[in-house]
Amino acid sequence: MKHVITAALICAAGPALANGEEVTIRGEVIDTWCYFSGVMGGPDAVQGTAHHTCAIWCSAGGIPVGLLGEDGTVYMILSINGDDQNASGQTQLELASHDITASGRLFARDGLNYLVIDEVVEDHGITNTNHTDFGVVPGFAIPNPEG
Amino acid sequence: MWKYLISLALLATPATAQEGPFSEGSEARSWNLAWEEPARFEATVVDMLCEVAGDCANECATGRQLGLLRAADGVLTYPNKNNQGIFTGAAVDLEPYCGMEVEVDGLMIEDEYVGATNVYLVQRIRAAGEEEWVTANRWTDAWEVQFPEAAAEEGRWYRNDPRVLAEIEGEGYLGTGESWQEAWEITR
Repeated sequence: MKHVITAALICAAGPALANGEEVTIRGEVIDTWCYFSGVMGGPDAVQGTAHHTCAIWCSAGGIPVGLLGEDGTVYMILSINGDDQNASGQTQLELASHDITASGRLFARDGLNYLVIDEVVEDHGITNTNHTDFGVVPGFAIPNPEG
Repeated sequence: MWKYLISLALLATPATAQEGPFSEGSEARSWNLAWEEPARFEATVVDMLCEVAGDCANECATGRQLGLLRAADGVLTYPNKNNQGIFTGAAVDLEPYCGMEVEVDGLMIEDEYVGATNVYLVQRIRAAGEEEWVTANRWTDAWEVQFPEAAAEEGRWYRNDPRVLAEIEGEGYLGTGESWQEAWEITR
């Protein structure tokens, strides 16, 4: 798809350590359940502007958020800037669908990647404008303004 | 047009769940997800940040994600979802059991294409040795306690949650600043 915005750049990668591998990654903050489960369609439809409202709902609802890198790797976010409220927390809620560059520590466990974000180096805003391809997902996310 | 194709794709999703290594004895309800597997197993409820990254200062505190360290093989599974079909995670349901041994029943998601493995939807929980199962649907009860005024409004929680409404007020339904009317029109 043309609207690939989630450029992931591992700019610095130190050796794997017990306290994690130091990394800097660029990607989109996503709602992992919709992405992993396919409950609302394919992975390209459950990110970006098309899925922004649902991403807010899911983040507020306590579904884990992740960072989706350019190569499609998902990093489950464990904390952001020292905020350990990774279930319904305000810091992650405000970053829903945002394209960010983050530095932190990467862990791998039983097939999943986990990321402790020590610093959001740059918030690029919401850059994946895929509503032009998918509309809004789910279709009822935007209520009819005329009631 | 894509939204209609997505809907058709959803309708075409196979309705029969696949069996997995922990499916025996499961009474999990299918969600008709392509890569779901019924999974019932014993586990210890663990704090994810503590278990994975060693950050244990606030272990098991409210608002931290919880995982299931499976007894049979030591694999850490990540409950992304509870039993409610309304955008709700599983931490609230697991919190009373943090640090305890439990048995859980639900759906495991294994989809190599999107990198999903050991991702879990928990439907019911019981502490080790208990007879009665507890359905994993506590999230909205907890939300109603936290936001009583919003809970008194008509409609689903996600239409009334003040934090959600503040985000939409700030960035719009698409997140890129369009008004409600504009967002509605360009996505029809």
